[in-house]
Amino acid sequence: MRLFLLYSLVGIFLVLLQSTFLRLLPLGPIVPDLVLVLCVYLGLHHPTVGAAVGSFVLGYSIDVVSSRLLGLNAFAMTLVFLSVYFSSRSIWLHHPVVSSLVVLFAALVKGVAMVLVWVIFLSMEGFWLGAAKYIIAEALVAAALAPFVFSLLRRGESYFKKLGAVA
Amino acid sequence: MFAFLRKNQVPLSCCFCLLLSFYILTAAARGQLKNEPLGAVLMWVMRPLQIAAQGTVHWITGLREDYDTLAGFRSENERLRKRVEHLEIERQKLLEAQATNHRLKQLLDFRGRLPGSAITASIIANSASSWFRSCLLDKGSADGVRKGMAVVTPLGVVGQVVAVTPRTAKVLLLTDANSGIDVLVQRTRARGIVSGSLENGTVLKYVKRSEDIQEGDRLITSGTDGVFPKGMMVGTVIKVSKQHLGLFQFIEVLPAVQSGRVEEVLVVAAERADKQPAPANFP
Repeated sequence: MRLFLLYSLVGIFLVLLQSTFLRLLPLGPIVPDLVLVLCVYLGLHHPTVGAAVGSFVLGYSIDVVSSRLLGLNAFAMTLVFLSVYFSSRSIWLHHPVVSSLVVLFAALVKGVAMVLVWVIFLSMEGFWLGAAKYIIAEALVAAALAPFVFSLLRRGESYFKKLGAVA
Repeated sequence: MFAFLRKNQVPLSCCFCLLLSFYILTAAARGQLKNEPLGAVLMWVMRPLQIAAQGTVHWITGLREDYDTLAGFRSENERLRKRVEHLEIERQKLLEAQATNHRLKQLLDFRGRLPGSAITASIIANSASSWFRSCLLDKGSADGVRKGMAVVTPLGVVGQVVAVTPRTAKVLLLTDANSGIDVLVQRTRARGIVSGSLENGTVLKYVKRSEDIQEGDRLITSGTDGVFPKGMMVGTVIKVSKQHLGLFQFIEVLPAVQSGRVEEVLVVAAERADKQPAPANFP
């Protein structure tokens, strides 16, 4: 329950961060996808039904806040969670480089999923070239931030566990 | 069946979420999604937080814009400061050019009034020894400067050329202890020799005790030495003293030309007094 609360708060905070403060970063139109990093973390460390639903809700939150088409990010984030869930069975190392690589892979999965859904529901001219640029840039930024976010989440989690033990 | 569901609950829940999101996507794309409760709840939760966060973002953006504006002012200030410096240098050059122009014009006028030929020269160096009072000109024998020629300015006598090279000429100044210029006291026409001295500055020598010399008397060249044109200003008497014994008076002189402040001079070859025309109207 405590972890559910923690990740709910973190999720809300990250959605807020992504829709407000991260726009201030000098990365042009690219916004670091911290929600994606959280979904990957949940897929790696908490492969539960709650986490799967949480990924869906996180994606849906982004849709509600900023997407033109409801369900687009919800679909992509759920797919990310599922792909990380399956790949986590063969990942034994917990190293910053590994986490970066998994996030990079997840970001690419998300990008491809977004593109597919986009093409089906929102066809646009000259979309592919722009999409490829965005996918690669977003994936690299997310991968770069992954070790830091992972470390923060791990610390937060251990702090909450200690708090629970004390209580 | 139950075991299968339990074993694959995560992938199955993911599939359910995927199907749900696909359904939402389809409905949203068709415009059929009018009242969806989850979005409303999420917005209800997020809205106040969004407002607060956006307010902070606006504050930070404003702060950054203020900083950018300030930085812009700073760079503009820097640019204007450099411009002012540049203009100040330009102004200085123009003022210098104006002053030089004025001096050269005076020199040119003066040159026209001088008997014989005159060469315009610039002082390029002063004496390097405290025992001698001399200066170096940028014109030499190649320009027509000869040893013994007089060096003058519109204000008066500067000195005499004592050595020449093809491109330079050394001038012994009036204030040097080794110089001697035959002069007349303009008011009384009494004669004497103006020379420098190591202990008393510039002095007027060999003036008889009986001569009437007063402070403020102007001394001019006599023209009889064959070096300086007649009637040129040499200096002004600033002190007269008659000792108990001796034939001559002791007279201190303030030279008309302060050699340290002169930049351009004329080098002239004066004719003998008996061959000279009437004295020019020198200042």
